[in-house]
Amino acid sequence: MHPERGRGDVIPNPMKPKNEGCYHLITSDKDDSIQTHLILIVSTCKYKLSEEEFVKPIVEIVRECGFSYEIKRYRERIDTDYSKVIVCGTALMDLDYLRYVDKFEWLKDYDGEVLGICAGYQIIAKVFDNDLVECKKIGVYEFEVVKDNPLIGKGTWKAYFLHRYALKDVKNLECLAMQKDEVCMFKVVGREFYGVSFHPEVLNREIVVNFLHIS
Amino acid sequence: MRVCVLYSGGKDSNLALLKANEEFEVSCLLSLKPKSEESVLFHYPNVDLVYLQSRALEIPLIAERCGDDEFSGLKALKSGLIRAKSEYGVEGVVSGAIKSVYQATRFQRVCDELNLWCFNPLWLRDEVSILKEIVERDFEVIFTRVAGLDRRFLGRRIDLKVVEELERIKSYVNPAGEGGEFETLVLDMPLFKKKIRILESRVVEGKFDATLIVERAELV
Repeated sequence: MHPERGRGDVIPNPMKPKNEGCYHLITSDKDDSIQTHLILIVSTCKYKLSEEEFVKPIVEIVRECGFSYEIKRYRERIDTDYSKVIVCGTALMDLDYLRYVDKFEWLKDYDGEVLGICAGYQIIAKVFDNDLVECKKIGVYEFEVVKDNPLIGKGTWKAYFLHRYALKDVKNLECLAMQKDEVCMFKVVGREFYGVSFHPEVLNREIVVNFLHIS
Repeated sequence: MRVCVLYSGGKDSNLALLKANEEFEVSCLLSLKPKSEESVLFHYPNVDLVYLQSRALEIPLIAERCGDDEFSGLKALKSGLIRAKSEYGVEGVVSGAIKSVYQATRFQRVCDELNLWCFNPLWLRDEVSILKEIVERDFEVIFTRVAGLDRRFLGRRIDLKVVEELERIKSYVNPAGEGGEFETLVLDMPLFKKKIRILESRVVEGKFDATLIVERAELV
């Protein structure tokens, strides 16, 4: 298997034009409507070197779970023919994605499942009219899951945080977990869209695995 | 962007350097040099080889002395990064950290304090895949210290056969040496303009470990 190509039954089609700037794009020569288990992984990294750190670990989990995937970058146009979407995090200094939140307006009409990690959490929050507040957090902290959800059980857990902004209050979102006064996990009301302000790939891989298995 | 690479001379920092070089200008290397007696005994001669590696790479080296405790290490790291910023105008730092959340947290905090981008291109990588990548990318790497790993590995070059051996025992030995099971020295890699040849070495045997100390080496 090509190291950057998703496994499964997605076959590259050399005749199909590649989207500019999408260096990991995998296209299918099959009818798009049958790509029921194709996961879209969105990179929010300004620099490719950051993708090794914030996107590749997510790709590894998706691969291990046996799903096919495509990777696109935050500035690209995104189609919505995917069963699930994971919007990854990026470096602490990287705030470029916040200039492109309008590129994620498609989320409002998307009917699949979405997991936003760190920068992805911030993007989902903003698309659904929430205001981020400055809240720098670096390192491992305990958080409390306060509401039943399909990603992680109720109780106290530890997670690795690396962010400058987060939510203290929510609008159109249900708070699922708190880290002190920070809403560190939410669900968009009426959707299967989840946001986590921490990096589950580090200490809470089960969150990503459980998300991939939501049906 | 100009970046500084945290450089120990082993396989991970060299692989991180190679990846950083694909996107950024690597302006300098930063190496922390332990000064305790124990460190002198086990690491000092090989730590000094970073000067030779820096010459092989033709990339300037900033070497900072530090003690064994965390405070001293962080102080040296910060001092070295301040020099990297002022002398070479770096805006980012690259490390070869793989799994240590403790190490990553402290590194991220220092970078944040100094307003530097922080890159960890090997973060959470599967250890065996790192070993395979250094072999595939033509690194010449030898084991310079083994602890909890068979002493016959000492001085041996990491090739696919070694990777397979480490993969077989990975349930009790971390294949990347993250638990201190081994340390490595890079003698050659794609960015080296010259390779390192060891002229004289000796082995220091401990109760639970063995170290290959390079006494003399040259660039060829």
